Amino acid sequence: MGLLLITRFTIQEAFHRWLLLAMLLLNILLLAVFALMLNAAYSNQLAHAPSQSNPQLFLLEFDLIISILSVWAAYLLSGAMTIVLSINMTSGEIEGGTFSVIVSKPLHRAEIIFGKWLGFALILCVYTAMLFFTFLGLIYWRTGYFPENALAALGMLELSTLVLLALTTLGSTLFPTLVNGAIVIMLFIGAPLASFVQLISTTPGATAQNISTIVNLVIPTDALWHGASYYLIPSFLYSILQQRGVLSDLNTPFTSIQPLSPALFTWAILYCIVLPIIGVIRFQRRDL
Amino acid sequence: MSDDSRLPAVEIQGLRKVYQQIIAVDDISLVTYRGEAFGFLGPNGAGKSTVVKILTGLVAPTKGTVRVLGQPVNHVQIRRQVGYLPEFPSFHRWLKARDFLEFHGRLFGLKRTMLEKRIGEVLARVGLAGRENQKLSTFSKGMLQRIGLAQAIINKPDLVILDELVSGLDPVGQRDMRELLRELKAEGTSIFLNSHLLADVEAICDRVAIINQGRILKVGAPAELFDKKKVLEVRVDHVSEELLSRLHTVALDIQHGDDDPCYLLIEIERDEQAADIADIIHAYGARLYTLAPRQVSLEQIFFQTIDALA
Repeated sequence: MGLLLITRFTIQEAFHRWLLLAMLLLNILLLAVFALMLNAAYSNQLAHAPSQSNPQLFLLEFDLIISILSVWAAYLLSGAMTIVLSINMTSGEIEGGTFSVIVSKPLHRAEIIFGKWLGFALILCVYTAMLFFTFLGLIYWRTGYFPENALAALGMLELSTLVLLALTTLGSTLFPTLVNGAIVIMLFIGAPLASFVQLISTTPGATAQNISTIVNLVIPTDALWHGASYYLIPSFLYSILQQRGVLSDLNTPFTSIQPLSPALFTWAILYCIVLPIIGVIRFQRRDL
Repeated sequence: MSDDSRLPAVEIQGLRKVYQQIIAVDDISLVTYRGEAFGFLGPNGAGKSTVVKILTGLVAPTKGTVRVLGQPVNHVQIRRQVGYLPEFPSFHRWLKARDFLEFHGRLFGLKRTMLEKRIGEVLARVGLAGRENQKLSTFSKGMLQRIGLAQAIINKPDLVILDELVSGLDPVGQRDMRELLRELKAEGTSIFLNSHLLADVEAICDRVAIINQGRILKVGAPAELFDKKKVLEVRVDHVSEELLSRLHTVALDIQHGDDDPCYLLIEIERDEQAADIADIIHAYGARLYTLAPRQVSLEQIFFQTIDALA
């Protein structure tokens, strides 16, 4: 009961903060610009489509690139929103002194943290889904292309959002807001570096692989993005590229030719569960 | 007081709190009773707020046991019967007064119909009737203090814990809050009042504990606790050794006040000895210009007591 009260309160509070409103307005603006650019780019693509060779494959390449880039933008925006919205989840309340009259009420401290976590998780998951479907919806409206495994890709993005939320939840019980923000931003931005290093090293050895694994364990968001990108590419394309022996061309810092490994998927789920629990344990022992 | 007035409201045994290496509270033990208004008095930094935070579960003790209304302080359900107002209340200021009280009422487990009734009652009680739809961000410091007290009593608590109640209130607000606390006490609510203002505890509390540097120096009724000396201000036309010698037969102590040799501060044991002082002066042949009890501020008494006990 207390947990749901805190969840509802967290959602109410988020909508009363100018931050969420400002982010939503900027997103609408961004999507409008994206729609205009997409329209112009696709018209241009249609005009330059080769008449003799396979024009559909030519257009599919465009559809694919624009889908991956727009979902990548959704991933980044969702990550940014997660950080901005939840970075002061606990630390802000402690620093502001607003917890004194809440923690002294008849509810467990765990209810407060999990309640806030749930509130943010609901907001952020809805936000991520809205972004995801708006981007892909616009692409579908203009090009008629919609990834066959879009829901699986969305699942990866949602999991990535929850991973980041788990990190801010824990950090918010351990550090002041500014420190937590610095740590989470550095990790989120730094996570793709392992992918870049792997790409530029011509013969990726065990060391590069180990570093990549460690980075993915510390912050699995980039691995989850790669998992999402796998589902954005149509399965028949994998077959065609494999037959032609150029499948590895799809292995870029932004895309992956393999789904997320079950081990990493399990780790990401554990990450989402364990980090908030550690945060709760820390908060339960903390003097306010 | 109610029938269960000898049941404990707050029981503290061997309480100690150390922050890093700083001892905030050092081996405190005390008991307050149901229906009693108990004052916790001490200068800033004495450890008062730490004790209050331990009582409300915000801070964990390093050592010792604390029970509130018969239950350990970490017993969640007992908190349904406890109201708390912190020293510098900070609230979610985007809320309207009604929404704020509704949220806190729900945290106490109050149902909708009860909440509706209680919100109106407590707002009226703290002098904020008609402010239901006003946002807390537009409230003055005193109004925030009032709404803070409203959330502390919305659940009709058996025990109210208040940390520096009147800080931020103007004189009218202070009077209103003291009156409200007296009403709560008359209704049988136990009160634990943390304050550095003697006027608060004298006006409201049955018993007072004086705390300084993390230790309780004395516990008792306010009237007993402060050693109020009876001092007379006396001004005569001239003073001699003989007059002083005669006055000493009655006075406990005589001191010269200010720079005027004819102005004396005479400490006596009983009020009626003032007449003896006047007789001695007349008998000596001096002219008596002033004979009046000296007004000592409560703060002066408090610090004299602290100095004496320390």
